[in-house]
Amino acid sequence: MLIKCPHCGTRPVEEFTFNGDASIQRPTSNDPATMDQWFDYVYLRDNPKGRFDEYAHHSSGCRAWLVVTRDTQTHEIFNVVTARDYAKKRVAS
Amino acid sequence: MPDNFQRVSPLADIAIQGRFGADHGAPGVTLSVRHPVLIATVIARKGKAKALADALKSWRGATVQWAGAEQYFLLDKPFDEVRKKLEGLASCSDQSHGRVIIRIEGPKVRQVLCKGTPVDLHESGFEIGKSALTQMAHVGVHLTRVGRDAFELSVFRGFSESFWEWLTEKAEEFGYQVI
Repeated sequence: MLIKCPHCGTRPVEEFTFNGDASIQRPTSNDPATMDQWFDYVYLRDNPKGRFDEYAHHSSGCRAWLVVTRDTQTHEIFNVVTARDYAKKRVAS
Repeated sequence: MPDNFQRVSPLADIAIQGRFGADHGAPGVTLSVRHPVLIATVIARKGKAKALADALKSWRGATVQWAGAEQYFLLDKPFDEVRKKLEGLASCSDQSHGRVIIRIEGPKVRQVLCKGTPVDLHESGFEIGKSALTQMAHVGVHLTRVGRDAFELSVFRGFSESFWEWLTEKAEEFGYQVI
């Protein structure tokens, strides 16, 4: 599996460390009434079949945090962006 | 910090001069350790990436190597000077003691390096002056092309000995000279 790092170019998957679902968002409230949201955020993960946004750290390369969008079934990679750009885009939308 | 203490290369007793490996014809590669060398890591402060890049570009006598997004290795300048010059633009850290730079050059240099890295080192896409961060023999390597057949490999000091062993082993089939 080859991943095109926005900084380093195409690199093999071995250079990356994956860190799970990038689409979940941290709850902003500390109110005990929001504990259900926190429980979801900390423990619950979907296991989607198909398109999936996933954090990837280019640990053996430029050490940047990236978000890789791939198909969990076929491992086709659709898109790679920096985690910074991913977060900015999410704030904007 | 005293100014006059002497840095000892961790490869001082390892990188022994001479001709090794295949002994027919000219050596495939020549290895040398750049020591002593001034190295600083420079990481742009928030929003200062462009200003930093411009400041580095116009700095005479400094060797600037890309080392990740908005990060650089700055060679050949004393650290006090680096910090003063880049005040407000970048966070700087002296790495002169922390890294070892091995220079490898010769007609077989790409054949040696491609045993360790997936980076395509053909000069059509990897020109002189270009750097890449990669891994060879499980060691993180900062690799820079400094000539048509010459590269500099920068590794953490603590890994330099095992990395040297690996590198020389890979160069054996071509014959190598240590200078």
